[in-house]
Amino acid sequence: MGSVRAEFLKLRRSMSWVVVVLLPLTAVVAGAVNTVVAGEPLEDHWHTLWLRAVVFYGLFPLVLGVAVLASLVWRVEHRGGNWNALMGRQVSSLHVVVGKTAVLAALAAAMQAVLVVGIVVVGKLVFALPGTLPPEYFLVSAVIVLACLPVAAFQSGLSMLMRSFAAPIAVALLASAAGMLLWMTRIEALALLLPHGLVGRATQMGTGMLADSGTVTAGAVTSVVVIALGLTAVVTLGTAAVLDRRDIR
Amino acid sequence: MIGRAVANEFAKMRRLRVVPVAAAMTVGVVALSCYALAAPGFPESVDDPAERPWQWLLGSMALAVLLVSPVLLAVLASRQVDIEHRGGGWLLSQTSGLTPGALCRAKFAASGAVVVAATLAQSGLVAAIGGLAGITVTFPVGQWLGYTASAVVVNLVLFALHLWLAARTANQLVGLGAGVLGVFAAVSGTGMSTGVAHFLPPWGYYALSVPVDVREAGVVSLDPPYLSVAALGVAGGALFLFATRLFDRREV
Repeated sequence: MGSVRAEFLKLRRSMSWVVVVLLPLTAVVAGAVNTVVAGEPLEDHWHTLWLRAVVFYGLFPLVLGVAVLASLVWRVEHRGGNWNALMGRQVSSLHVVVGKTAVLAALAAAMQAVLVVGIVVVGKLVFALPGTLPPEYFLVSAVIVLACLPVAAFQSGLSMLMRSFAAPIAVALLASAAGMLLWMTRIEALALLLPHGLVGRATQMGTGMLADSGTVTAGAVTSVVVIALGLTAVVTLGTAAVLDRRDIR
Repeated sequence: MIGRAVANEFAKMRRLRVVPVAAAMTVGVVALSCYALAAPGFPESVDDPAERPWQWLLGSMALAVLLVSPVLLAVLASRQVDIEHRGGGWLLSQTSGLTPGALCRAKFAASGAVVVAATLAQSGLVAAIGGLAGITVTFPVGQWLGYTASAVVVNLVLFALHLWLAARTANQLVGLGAGVLGVFAAVSGTGMSTGVAHFLPPWGYYALSVPVDVREAGVVSLDPPYLSVAALGVAGGALFLFATRLFDRREV
């Protein structure tokens, strides 16, 4: 628990809020602006607004946002003599890696919260939609956060290995492009097993886009959650094993 | 002096793995462009001039460029500049007679050449793959070259912006964050009218450069505002020169 608390303390002055707030809000604003500029009405009210804001966001920018945050979380360890301090720590490698992933999970949850609030505000104030966001999208939001975990763990591992802030983000872009291609060509099994593709599946949920049927089913939710938790466990253990074998520099 | 500095930047690139990042940009664009080849009905259209198969491929490439380039250009710029922040390179260069502004311009000249090469390579590769896929319709040379030239200009202006951002703030979060947000601006530009997209420089100019549009009747050719793209290049160049000169007045 101490490792997790320490990671949250390191975040305080890291400017992570810039990504956490601006990225999801940009997704909502882009969806709203495109709707207004194109003059296409929200035929299916909240469903259409959700679809326009979230599907593209899940294919590319959300993954990149998590990758930027992972680079940011590890940045401090690569500066000055901090890497050597990390190598001389008193806690296990697993504690360190879990701490980093926990921080990224919290930031991903915060991003999703900003996205949901943004959609509700825009839906009400800009488009005057009746009622509020359908409850299934709150469930989908929880699934999206869980689907971000393997990406967070994977990008955290890359950022641990690479001292460069930018290089892991380039990998994330290529992986999300691969995920997008896998979804478009309907190679679904591979897309689900690729952490960056799994996020795309979670954000499609309930929209009827690409591989989705248009309804949020228990089967779809369960499969994404089980794969997300399994991948996270594997990647986290792998990262901890790699960290165990790193040395001072 | 500046010639040596540019050569030095090329030397730095070897260990910064700039070529793999540029290659990733090319591969990403080519892979996403080739999705058009797998679209239903495309294989049957390769011999039919009315179906405009080259224009489909060009539109697909234009979309891939605006999805992939903003982030990878930010990565390239960050890689090239971050080493100066980490290793005290600004001070070292200045004491060697190369001001921070001149160092930035040397970085632009060297890495910009890689950006140009990557952009030309992706355009050429997509055309070659179209030929290998069996498109027998006459190749639209002017349209293809016009788009490629526009993509080179927009990529260079965006790269200059990211170099400036990476040099201005040591925390690379700013530049990379701008790159990710830029993807939204670039994609949003495709849904806007030409007039509105002008107000989203430089990302909106990716959308302005797109020479085709998909409508109900099929793919149609557009007349992109090349003059606006050229104006962006001139304005971007002037601003980069001005901004890098300001670096010389800062205390290192």
